[in-house]
Amino acid sequence: MGRAVTVPEQLRVLELGTVSPLRSQTLWHAIAKEVSGGETPTLSFLRTDAGCVSIGYHRSLDEVDVGHCSRRGWPVYRRMVGGGPVFLDGAQLLFQISLPAKAVPASRGQALRSLLGPAVAAFRAAGVPARLDEEMEVVVADRKVCGYGAGQIDAAVVLVGNLIESFDHESATSVLEVPDPVSRSELLRLMRRYVGCPEDTSADARAFIGAAVDAFAGALGLRPRSGELSGAELDHMELLDRKFVDGGWLAGPDRPRSAGWKAKIRSGVWVLTGRSGGVRVRASVVGNRVERMDIEAPGDGEVRSAAAGVTGRTLAEARALLCECGAFGRAAAEAIGQAGVLVG
Amino acid sequence: MERSQWAKVGGYRMRTDLAYDSEGHMWVERLGGGRVRVGLDPLGLEINGTLAQLAMIPVGTEVQRGEPLGSLEAEKFVGPLRAPLSGVVAATNDTVVENPGLVEQDPFGCWLVELEVLPGSVEDAELVEGPSVPGWFAEQVQEYRDKGVLAE
Repeated sequence: MGRAVTVPEQLRVLELGTVSPLRSQTLWHAIAKEVSGGETPTLSFLRTDAGCVSIGYHRSLDEVDVGHCSRRGWPVYRRMVGGGPVFLDGAQLLFQISLPAKAVPASRGQALRSLLGPAVAAFRAAGVPARLDEEMEVVVADRKVCGYGAGQIDAAVVLVGNLIESFDHESATSVLEVPDPVSRSELLRLMRRYVGCPEDTSADARAFIGAAVDAFAGALGLRPRSGELSGAELDHMELLDRKFVDGGWLAGPDRPRSAGWKAKIRSGVWVLTGRSGGVRVRASVVGNRVERMDIEAPGDGEVRSAAAGVTGRTLAEARALLCECGAFGRAAAEAIGQAGVLVG
Repeated sequence: MERSQWAKVGGYRMRTDLAYDSEGHMWVERLGGGRVRVGLDPLGLEINGTLAQLAMIPVGTEVQRGEPLGSLEAEKFVGPLRAPLSGVVAATNDTVVENPGLVEQDPFGCWLVELEVLPGSVEDAELVEGPSVPGWFAEQVQEYRDKGVLAE
């Protein structure tokens, strides 16, 4: 009688090439659905053949300049995982790891670290000296080089991310709804400063794929094998194709409207505006501290000069200082609070 | 009005007069007349991390135990909030949807959803409640610590 042979669990690897913007989203959702139903854990790679915008599950569509996207021919889709609105194009290699929820740590933070670790190893093999910083950003120095989001889709967990070969900062900024040209200019400045690989770094997508396969297989204890999409996945993808262009799905869950506006460039880096009591505040925050603040408070020089004094302080400290500057100062502090930035 | 009963278990301040769903780490408060309030317990909060977003399904929606009552997002990670009981959503707490940080400050003071429990539902039996709550919670904490999910 022969010995029973234990077949090691496998990691299915799907190189899906270049697909339409819609399929750049629905394909990996379909894969995650099937992994939830018992399909092999899967690492997949694809690119979109045209620009599009992907918005995180909970985020308001108000954050996207839908009219501008429409004029540029960039469709907008809502994904089932987290994070904010992002511009995707063919200069980004999109990767996704889908595996049973029971295979990842119960702690969300630990789950993310366990899945981002192999991704970081792949970045380094691709020529991008990335690391995972203490704020869970994949960075080179202080520049974010990988956008990611994660979520549980039925009984599967999926992490999606991108290898940015060339980042189109102008387009990425233009798809966002921004209250005024100055804020848009500031957003672009910080996007250029803090997003994308340094100019002297180039990413090798082929090396990234090979290294990602090895790193994820090693980390998960799985044996990689090339695979294909199943019939069930193709069927599911067609269902999702219809769902993702449905207006109700795109609108997303009911969200409270914020009185202020904010845009996150990377962890700890924000542009925000708010208005209260005839006072308008615009602030840039870097490393969770105010880098620039402009206050429009007609006829009140004290509060405008106070704005200069908050540089280098946290938003909480800045608000406390402004509150000491009379009614306009208190209004400025209120305006900052309206943006709802969750930093000190 | 009955006063809440509290105990410190495994380093967490717990209400011992509530029922708990062990899988989703949701607390359940019986309001009478087949209506319950549901919220996240402290262990559920710690596992999820800093809450950035919450969304609830609409009032009037019927859910079965284990189905999503809504969703939460922490660390760019979206996950479901599982119904501890089958029922119809009678109310949602819009204050915490607008400011999820409130739940972290006071998990027992911030309910998420009220449910009208479906008649004939027998799922109550699967909730942990009464004198067994502290022991069950202590075991859960230890299990997560053993797995390295929680700090010592």
